[in-house]
Amino acid sequence: MSDRLIKMQIPIILTAIIGLIMIIEFFFPMPTAVTNLNVTLRSFVTIVSAAALILGTIVLTIYHGKKVGTKGSEWYYSIVYIIAFVVTAGLGVTNVRDTTFLWIYNNMTSPIGAALYSLTAFYITSAAYRVLRARNWNAAVLLVCALIVLLMLIPIGAILFPPVVPIGTWIRNIPSGAGFRGMIIGTSLGIIGLGVRVFSGRQKEHMGIREERRQE
Amino acid sequence: MSLMKKLLDLDQRIIYALMFIALAFPILNPVVLPMDIQEYSRVSFEFADSIPAGSVVLIEGGLGAATYPQGGPGLEVQIVHLLGKGVKIVFFSIGTETAAWTVTAIDNALAAMPSGVAAEDGVNWVHLGYVPGGESGVAAFANDIRSVKSEDHYGTPIAQIPLLANINKASDFTAVFWWGGSEGSIPYGIRQIVTPFGVPMTGMCTTNEVPNYTPYINSGQLHGILGGVRGSAEYEYLMDMPGLALGQAMATNFGGLLWAFLVVLGNILYFIARKEEGDN
Repeated sequence: MSDRLIKMQIPIILTAIIGLIMIIEFFFPMPTAVTNLNVTLRSFVTIVSAAALILGTIVLTIYHGKKVGTKGSEWYYSIVYIIAFVVTAGLGVTNVRDTTFLWIYNNMTSPIGAALYSLTAFYITSAAYRVLRARNWNAAVLLVCALIVLLMLIPIGAILFPPVVPIGTWIRNIPSGAGFRGMIIGTSLGIIGLGVRVFSGRQKEHMGIREERRQE
Repeated sequence: MSLMKKLLDLDQRIIYALMFIALAFPILNPVVLPMDIQEYSRVSFEFADSIPAGSVVLIEGGLGAATYPQGGPGLEVQIVHLLGKGVKIVFFSIGTETAAWTVTAIDNALAAMPSGVAAEDGVNWVHLGYVPGGESGVAAFANDIRSVKSEDHYGTPIAQIPLLANINKASDFTAVFWWGGSEGSIPYGIRQIVTPFGVPMTGMCTTNEVPNYTPYINSGQLHGILGGVRGSAEYEYLMDMPGLALGQAMATNFGGLLWAFLVVLGNILYFIARKEEGDN
């Protein structure tokens, strides 16, 4: 068998057949054998994803291990990673109910994650004070909408300024809702188009092959 | 430099300090101010409240370290609410970190559970843990739980879990509660569970994501949504179980009002400065 057949044509045919079986099952009742095949194929996805997670962890650990071994730039951060990984993974593998494992999550991961996320409140306020100005009509509309929606969203807003609730709800449901609906439909059409390209072999990136340049 | 110019170029550290005070003060000095319940939150709460006793529901625990402070208190109250009504719960997560945080929510909810409520692991609730594969994983899980999970999060084989004796696919659940946080995964549930199996669903996301899901709420695919810490606070308020979220929601009052004040002030100063430049 030729190299091209093995590397390109068979994967494209397999992708198309499996993809079409999955799609058809979504719309039409199928024989039990096909349904069972789909169940098996879907379970493959979870296995491959889990394996990818393990692979990623191994690759990352090797990278940091090499960095420590060669004393590359800022190698000491890699030691922090290795210690954190060994301790957390060790405790997690031993027993996820282990109080030390949960302590790490509750007292280290939580405050760090929450602190990072909460910083956005400070940055957004500072940026809004400097940038959110009614320099023209478009900016004025954006500013007024932002203020109305913000006042609608804060718990006391509806008590202090009752009209913000109907106006804010209208903004969220009608103009904003229409925009998001258009975005969802557009994305879905894009995904359908991508699917057709993958099934027909015109899109090859998922096989690690870059699309060939068209000759001008 | 004129006062106007100084105010327009206000040092960001002053803004940070003001915001810090606005957020910290109500947390350190809790004051519960009146609160209006949002329509989306009310619909979501009434949806949960309408589930009959004995039903089995599915909860996707998608809250991580960053989003647990917002949604965690609400999830904990919802667990208390559902178990208190005699509803049985199957938990799962599509993230490794979020699976661990779901354990925290369950543990906190069990600690707050009123005495006499049946809340036995494996009988009234079960946590199936991490399901890999993103949306494809959700599809596999929805079609055949046993094809992707052989044991629960704590290592108990599924065959030994009484609650799962007659549960193996999405259609076996009465409802789905998708605590997506900022995962952006609520559409996974809509596409892989609501549409193919007809199981009704509600969800929770961060405040900024609520507009993303408005089309799904308007179309009836999502029965309301709890948005951010306010959604959690409203759940606590409706359940008459004041907790962390209600305190944090009060902080968002002050933070939000400060934000609005600064933006309005910035615009007033901007127009005055522009007028002065025009006059000169």
